[in-house]
Amino acid sequence: MRGRATGARVRARLWGSLGTLVLVVLAALIVPPLFGSGSTVHYEAIRLPPGWAHPFGTDSSGRDLFVRSLAGLRISLLVAAISAVVSTVLGSAVGVAAGALGGWSDRLLMRAVDAVNAVPHLLLGIVIVSLYRGSVVAVMLSIALTHWATVARIVRSEVLSLRERPYIDAAISGGASRLRVLYRHFLPAVVPQAALSAVLLIPHAVWHETALSFLGLGLPPHMASIGNILGDGRSAVLLGAWWLILFPSLLLVATTLAVSGIAATWRDRVVPRRRSELSL
Amino acid sequence: MTTSLATLTLFGAGCSVPSKPGGDGADSMLLADGYEPDSLNPLLGYAHAGAAKFYDGLMAFDGKGSLLPALAAEPPVADEDARRWTVKLRGDVTFHDGTPFDAEDVVATYRAAIDPAYASTISSNFDMLDRVEALDPHTVRFDLKYPYVPWPARMVLGIVPAEKLAEPAPLTNSELNTKPVGTGPYQLVEWRQGERMVWRGNPDYWGGAPAIGEVTVVFATDDNTRAQRVRSGEFDGTVLPPVLAERVGTDSYRTVHHDTADYRAITLPSTHPVTGDPTVRTALNLAANRDGMIDALLGGHGIPGHTPIPPSMDRYHEPTARFAFDRKRAKGMLDAGGWRPGPDGVRRRGGQRAEFTVMYFADDSLRKQLAVAFASDAGEVGIEVRPAGVDRTEAASRIGTDAIVLGGGNPLDPDLQMYDSLHSSVIGTGTYNNPAQYRNAAVDAALDRGRHTTDSARRARYYKQAQTAYVADPGLVYLAFIQHSYVMRTGAWNGYEPVIEPHTHGTTWGPWWNVEDWTPQR
Amino acid sequence: MTPTTAGSRSRATAVARLVLRRLAFAVPVLFLVAFGVFLLAAASPFDPVYQYYGVQILNASAADVADVRARLGLDEGVLAQFWGWFTGVLSGDLGVSRSMRQPVARVLAERLPWTLLLTVTGLVVAVVFALVLGTVAAWRQGGWIDRVVTALGHALEGIPPFVLALLAIALFSLGLGWLPVAGLTDAGSALSIGQVVEHLALPALVLGISQSPWLVLHVRQSMLSSLSQDHVTGARARGLGERVVVLRHALPTALLPFVTLIGARIPELVTGTVLVEEVFSWPGLAAAVVTAATAVDYPLLAILTLVATAAVLLGSLLADVAAVLLDPRVSADG
Repeated sequence: MRGRATGARVRARLWGSLGTLVLVVLAALIVPPLFGSGSTVHYEAIRLPPGWAHPFGTDSSGRDLFVRSLAGLRISLLVAAISAVVSTVLGSAVGVAAGALGGWSDRLLMRAVDAVNAVPHLLLGIVIVSLYRGSVVAVMLSIALTHWATVARIVRSEVLSLRERPYIDAAISGGASRLRVLYRHFLPAVVPQAALSAVLLIPHAVWHETALSFLGLGLPPHMASIGNILGDGRSAVLLGAWWLILFPSLLLVATTLAVSGIAATWRDRVVPRRRSELSL
Repeated sequence: MTTSLATLTLFGAGCSVPSKPGGDGADSMLLADGYEPDSLNPLLGYAHAGAAKFYDGLMAFDGKGSLLPALAAEPPVADEDARRWTVKLRGDVTFHDGTPFDAEDVVATYRAAIDPAYASTISSNFDMLDRVEALDPHTVRFDLKYPYVPWPARMVLGIVPAEKLAEPAPLTNSELNTKPVGTGPYQLVEWRQGERMVWRGNPDYWGGAPAIGEVTVVFATDDNTRAQRVRSGEFDGTVLPPVLAERVGTDSYRTVHHDTADYRAITLPSTHPVTGDPTVRTALNLAANRDGMIDALLGGHGIPGHTPIPPSMDRYHEPTARFAFDRKRAKGMLDAGGWRPGPDGVRRRGGQRAEFTVMYFADDSLRKQLAVAFASDAGEVGIEVRPAGVDRTEAASRIGTDAIVLGGGNPLDPDLQMYDSLHSSVIGTGTYNNPAQYRNAAVDAALDRGRHTTDSARRARYYKQAQTAYVADPGLVYLAFIQHSYVMRTGAWNGYEPVIEPHTHGTTWGPWWNVEDWTPQR
Repeated sequence: MTPTTAGSRSRATAVARLVLRRLAFAVPVLFLVAFGVFLLAAASPFDPVYQYYGVQILNASAADVADVRARLGLDEGVLAQFWGWFTGVLSGDLGVSRSMRQPVARVLAERLPWTLLLTVTGLVVAVVFALVLGTVAAWRQGGWIDRVVTALGHALEGIPPFVLALLAIALFSLGLGWLPVAGLTDAGSALSIGQVVEHLALPALVLGISQSPWLVLHVRQSMLSSLSQDHVTGARARGLGERVVVLRHALPTALLPFVTLIGARIPELVTGTVLVEEVFSWPGLAAAVVTAATAVDYPLLAILTLVATAAVLLGSLLADVAAVLLDPRVSADG
């Protein structure tokens, strides 16, 4: 992955990922509204295998799986994107504050980061959602409150390396206030890192939401989300309804890999220096 | 690695495990259950509807809707207004620990049920009980606060030894929760929580030692896991959702579906501006495709429900008290009642949009599916129903104002099935007692008469009247009585008898409700 | 005094100092985590009295419920509840799990060994995969094995463990009928090593495979860089065989960062274990996390969170100790 991958391969990865992502996101945006989000129950169409009328088949309530999976992906991606942004903003704020202020504040903030990172994310996420069951906000909080610490650490080290630069010294000795330095120099400088982190977090966030919903602890169970659909589909294996597992998983894997692929290319181009830390 | 292997061997040496794998010996049986009791204490709700394997009640269910004496020597005798009940006890019974059973144990058990110091979770079931006294070592007298004809149905409560209740403290830490001591046909050998329970036949059982001397119950909460393991031949039987049961109940297994009094209904809160409207209530009852739900979600294994009394309680069931599935009529009624379709397809009356929320327990997938299906049906007639997955706390706090998918049922007596769900006097006495605040004078009167009338033919007539009065002014949408489905091994035992089941199910009910009377075929 | 004993003594001191420093770090972190879980619980709208009642809440009257609440001490403030619990833990009383209706200590004692068995086996599977596949892929960089391993590694990074678990069950248990689906033993069979090994195979394999992509790709990477290092090219130049060069010279250099990486991946291992235990009904601690969460059983949830946190801290400590012991150049100050 790091090795000087040839230009052709990098381009193939980028275009493949971009193509997949655009296709999937467009489908998720366009298809569900056209078909009433696939929430109408059809008593006479229970667990139909894939065919012309239902390309992905139907589920145990007779709902079209193609429409429902795309509706689910839309919700999963939306939840993931919002949580990734919240988590990045939170993490960047902590990271910049710790890096710029230094001293005791730095040490204290980093201890908090260590504490959060010491608890496995899914476990902490389970604790959070279990106490606020069944709400979308709980799931978002569960993602955001567990993933900010990684971002904080990356941003802090970026700020620390900036502090070594002569122009910052010049600004400080030129009498600029700490706050001003923070605003004018540190914040803009970490924006690319932060934006990249947000994108890199999306697959993790999708994964986190899916795992929670699969365990029955995530989004309200009647809501279409990839995790809920897969959770419902657990009995499908035995009933021979393989399509209930296969298609939603493929959609999930394709989307997360596409996002990671794009993020990886971006990482290699924009910030080649700090590759290892960014593999989150 | 080494440490865990060492622990493994240690564990292996430390446990007693059944000597034979499942199905090999006909005198032992291996079942899987999807539900593991929290506690084995009858006073904390274990087997409160009877069929407690470790305990006997004074009375026991015969499987078809009547009660037989168990620890009682003969049926209890009531005075003429059914407020004072006297019961003679068997004299030949001992507990598993060898101590003799007598009136003191009965008195201690029932007193603990109503004494707040014990914090029993079933005390509300015994709200009518005022006093219980031993007249002599083998006679007990119950004094009730009001006339209550169905009292014998409350006498299925398992009797525990008086010594175990000596200290009036909350039962959370009682020894009985994990080490039951009763008079029942089986005694507990081992309970590895989250894993399995082993019962051994009680050789001194007053009804004769069970021929099936050992029953192992393995707990596997996930339906799919249980189904997969039955298919690989591991179990002699288990409980499954109907569709899965049909799928795996082949070859050396058969699938049985038992009728129940276990209903699923949607409550319609009276105080809500939409669900409180009588037109909407009747229209929703007409719009619900009960047969469709049963066919699609239960694989056909349910009986449409219109009132709380299922056809299986046939003496009390009123067959004409039903709703047709008629969308056209539902729409017509709503139009006539002033609910006009709006631009988005949802009806409106005045400023009120025809919309409401139906809650369901997020961990119950059948209730989720019913909520989704009901919402879809209501949408067809222009009423917007939003499902909401909730936990039990949230349900309790919103149950007065939002609809919920409700379940419950006990076939022992129509009073148990109807009074707490529909009588106006129980409003506010408990979270799930008439939660939608249904009030109907004719229903109230019929239910009160049923409670007080000793003549059984007249009593049945009152319950039929109550159903007719309810259907004219419905307060819920009863959807179905779900059948309970089981898979059991064939060709190994005799003694299976179908049974009409309460809401509770699992391996204490089901085909194994009378496992103590089964005999090996070989 | 020979230089080696001096070296090993200073290394022992280094390790001891490392352990002490990590302990000093671990105590406040564990306290913070425990307190954090209780604060979250306090802010939650969930009412634990429902756990006490279970389905019997259907029949309970409001007055009875209030009474039970008072008797269970649920009306006390969260700080009081936390303090009661915390002092209890310090004196060895971990409390009673409401969802399991048994002491938390017993839940731990009964389930921890099974979880350890599963995670350690899973980790061993992942490490073996990583070392073998990573080394072979790096050695034959650009060859078909390398391409397949790299592509599979990237694809597996995107597949959540529970999907992998479902696919494995569909294939190996239901399709081919080779391995049992779930549990620790066949129902009704005695607990024997043969039974457990048979039931362990599929979950451990799924757990191992789900953890391996990062490790495989990492080993491949560090092997690539160590194969191009001076002492390796030097060994090649001396005419040593390929096997000796790869196994004796390149691999040890690559091993060091790998050990640290394993330590850093304990959180993901725990996460994977939660999902794998749940799907395979493995009677371990991780499956108890889901039970406890579903029942909002805070005494158990808090202890399980602490155990997982302690496992993460211990994992990274062990990895660092191993790194100090393996490599003379690593100072224990880092």
